[in-house]
Amino acid sequence: MKKLLIALACATVSYSAVAGGNIEAGKALTEKYSCFACHGKDFNSPIDPSYPKLAGQHKDYLVHALTAYKRGDAANGRNNAIMGGQVKALSDQDISDIAAYLHSLPGSLVSHR
Amino acid sequence: MGNAQNAKAKIEMCIGCHGIPGYKASFPESFQVPMIGGQSAKFIEGALKAYQKGDRKHPSMKGIAASLSDQDIADVAAYYSQQTASAK
Repeated sequence: MKKLLIALACATVSYSAVAGGNIEAGKALTEKYSCFACHGKDFNSPIDPSYPKLAGQHKDYLVHALTAYKRGDAANGRNNAIMGGQVKALSDQDISDIAAYLHSLPGSLVSHR
Repeated sequence: MGNAQNAKAKIEMCIGCHGIPGYKASFPESFQVPMIGGQSAKFIEGALKAYQKGDRKHPSMKGIAASLSDQDIADVAAYYSQQTASAK
């Protein structure tokens, strides 16, 4: 019983780490993969208007989008040459961390009618 | 060239999700729909065309994008690109 409780506790902790994402780890990953080279140093001023602003975007949407790029040209995926290459090496934890970092940044995106 | 004024009659399909802060898509994955106000017109156009073409695979967005003409897409993109925190 005690072992089961410990296992449950560990499972809960690791689940919440993935779901929550680590902002500092995410920042390091965006530097490692040079995300800013296209999306802008502040992630709110992309170098080309065909790229999205990411700063402040919803975390769960960013996880969805990055995961979709990873799926590629498959169900529920996104087929994009640049992003497909960028996300290839990312684990679910990496994606969650990157999303947490980008979400934490101040941005100019809004939800209006 | 997109015309934000002309978009007003065309955004009815958008506002039911993107106009409600915190609104969650529930199929096939659950997540808060993205904030699109303030993205550049060129990015929004590109995303809608990717849904149309099937490069972005999302059932609801594919259906909506498929119903839009190039001019509709340009107008809607212009409309959302002009949104800021203070101006709607």
